[in-house]
Amino acid sequence: MEVENLHKSYGDTNALNGVSFQVQEGEIFGLLGPNGAGKTTLLSIVSCLLEASAGQAQIHGQKVDLDNKGLRRQIGIVPQELALYDELSGRENLRFFGQLYGITGTQLEQRIQQILVAVGLDDRADRRVATFSGGMKRRLNLGAAMVHEPRLLLMDEPTTGVDPQSRNHIFEEIRRLNRGGTTVVYTSHYMEEVQALCPRVGILDHGRLIACDQVPQLLRRQDSLIRFRVPTVSSTLRSRLQEIPESRLVEADSRPLEIVCRDVKPTLAQLLAILAELKLEVLSLETEEPNLERVFLGLTGSALRD
Amino acid sequence: MVIWTLAKKDLRLLLGDRRAVVILLAMPVLFILVLGVALGKDQLRISIVDLDKGEYFQSGGFPPQKWSQMFIHDLKQTAPDIEVEILSLEQARQKIDTRKRAAVLVFGPDFSRKMSECSFLEEGINPFNRNGVNLSLLDAELLRDETQGTAAAIIEQAAQVTLLRIILPWMIGRAFEKVGDPAFLDLLAKEKEIPGVVKSFLSSPLVSDKQKSALGAALQNALQGLFSKYNLTGKTWETLTQPKSAARTVSQGSGASAVNDTAASDEGSSFLNRGDLRYQSLVPSYTVMFAFFLVLTVGWLFVAERRQGTLKRLRAAPLSRTQILLGKMVPCFLLSLGQGFFLLAAGKLVFDMKLGHQPFWLAAVVVATSAAAMGLSLLVASMARTEAQVAIYGTLLVLVLAGISGCLMGDPELMPERMKLLSRFTPHAWAMDAYSQLLLRPEPNLLLVAQACGVLILFGAGFVALAWWVLRLD
Repeated sequence: MEVENLHKSYGDTNALNGVSFQVQEGEIFGLLGPNGAGKTTLLSIVSCLLEASAGQAQIHGQKVDLDNKGLRRQIGIVPQELALYDELSGRENLRFFGQLYGITGTQLEQRIQQILVAVGLDDRADRRVATFSGGMKRRLNLGAAMVHEPRLLLMDEPTTGVDPQSRNHIFEEIRRLNRGGTTVVYTSHYMEEVQALCPRVGILDHGRLIACDQVPQLLRRQDSLIRFRVPTVSSTLRSRLQEIPESRLVEADSRPLEIVCRDVKPTLAQLLAILAELKLEVLSLETEEPNLERVFLGLTGSALRD
Repeated sequence: MVIWTLAKKDLRLLLGDRRAVVILLAMPVLFILVLGVALGKDQLRISIVDLDKGEYFQSGGFPPQKWSQMFIHDLKQTAPDIEVEILSLEQARQKIDTRKRAAVLVFGPDFSRKMSECSFLEEGINPFNRNGVNLSLLDAELLRDETQGTAAAIIEQAAQVTLLRIILPWMIGRAFEKVGDPAFLDLLAKEKEIPGVVKSFLSSPLVSDKQKSALGAALQNALQGLFSKYNLTGKTWETLTQPKSAARTVSQGSGASAVNDTAASDEGSSFLNRGDLRYQSLVPSYTVMFAFFLVLTVGWLFVAERRQGTLKRLRAAPLSRTQILLGKMVPCFLLSLGQGFFLLAAGKLVFDMKLGHQPFWLAAVVVATSAAAMGLSLLVASMARTEAQVAIYGTLLVLVLAGISGCLMGDPELMPERMKLLSRFTPHAWAMDAYSQLLLRPEPNLLLVAQACGVLILFGAGFVALAWWVLRLD
């Protein structure tokens, strides 16, 4: 999937402002951003639901446009909101969506059964969706997007309001699909999810792609933090701490003391050695390694969930 | 194939929706039931106070009873739908004062005497005026509740027509008798313009009264021969209006000559008044009105598709806008057809409505009405974004259209002419035209039925075109 200088405006509001990036076939790509960043708009454009104001997108070499039925067959979309018929059973929902893509007969029934097993709903398949829990509906929502075996799966915050067990189910299924060759674009404002699932991530804010890289590369943009408390802070201690390489002591009036460093492990080893040497008792100690939340904070100056 | 997939799904959802079943099937039957029972027997009531002392003279054994009774007898014979109620004067005034009766006809004590004196001769009472019969000259009056002008006017006209029907034959019969009277020949002889020979003959002492009577009878016969379509000696409307030779034969069958072999009997039976004529209007009226309640059901289905997010999935699937719209049209249409046939069947089975002799055309009207209802439903569904909008705009639209068309009243014929003209802009009125031809007329005008079906289909096509234009799937 290739997105090039994509713009989308609603009146005076620019939902997307020159977004460009590529997703390779077979990749799980995460699109991270706060609510209103433009993630859903971007997915709507690449899934042929919405026309871009400017720029273009291509999927498998085909230009994305509203009338490209052939391309639609290759795309599966998991909308942010549950998109299921409550009055139909799980199996009937899957059958209906499968038939829309022209799958019929034994092939369809086999595919439905595979999906029901994959999302852990084979024992509830013939019950009305209205009786499902939120997590079960989310899993079926994913299943409905997979029934026609798409080459590209676009997932718009698919775990909103989902219990941990269902989330794990969904993650397992995404990884399994990906191993089978499906390309996945996964949007979320939960950085933990994206970090756990996606080797490569784009960060979107106010319609702009402010970063796009492998997760380790993104994390490297941020320092780690060691926060500790000792009974007394002497000038000797201060001078010894300042000698630790690739680190810096944050001077602050308040306690505890904080050391910012590139790499926690060697810095922590040296810190503990100094404290032992000065025979200082450690009252408390904690470390804070870089994560996407802090990367986002560093890039935008605001927290991701704002 | 994809259209049928979409249609099947919607049909499944619609049929599983209890709200839809109640609105589309149960409510119209309930409305017909309630109105059918609540409207009571479909009769006009004429209340009469009879103070007539019955002082009258008979001419050739006529009248056989006092004139007020002659009036009541004629009324009952010629209009069996009219209920005659006899009240005392006190009761009549009380009912008028309390608005329980719009008008009461009072025959005074001298009514029979005055009737006896009615004649075309100079010395007789001429009861006629510009408006019909001058009641005050006959010692009769109409007590009226001025707040119920229309109903009082209907009663007055029914009374006037009946009075004319009893007075005119009586006066004509008496005048015809005079022609045969020797005294009439004496009067004739005095006429200046009569030729001398005739005058000499009529006034000759050699011509006996017997000969004059024979001449009078001959004159009567000649006149009767000249007006052979009338029985000039008949003193009732029934005998006056029949040829003398055929009077007996025709009078025996006259009461039943207007029997309508298609329309239901006008006298229902049982609590429901099954088979009553009113169901021939009530059932189609509510069938048409509730056909358009499809607007609500389909609107809610559309809105639910948006709310559930499934519309997004449909748009993401390899479907065209036309396929999605057709996928919605087919189930709407099938549901409406099912509803139409169900209500007509219920009309037949529950209310004993007569279905007429044109089942093909009846089916055609159901199909055409469903086309119009489907179109309007799609239009409303295309415009509404929320369930509340569907409920408010849909209900308003359906009730206003039903009101304009007269369906709401259960019989469009009750509407004033201006409203009837306005109703031409509603599909309901055309559907009712067709139904009224097929269910009320013994020989329906099929050209009118076909025309109405055509207009309904045009309405449907127009609504669908508008729906296509305003429909936004995003």
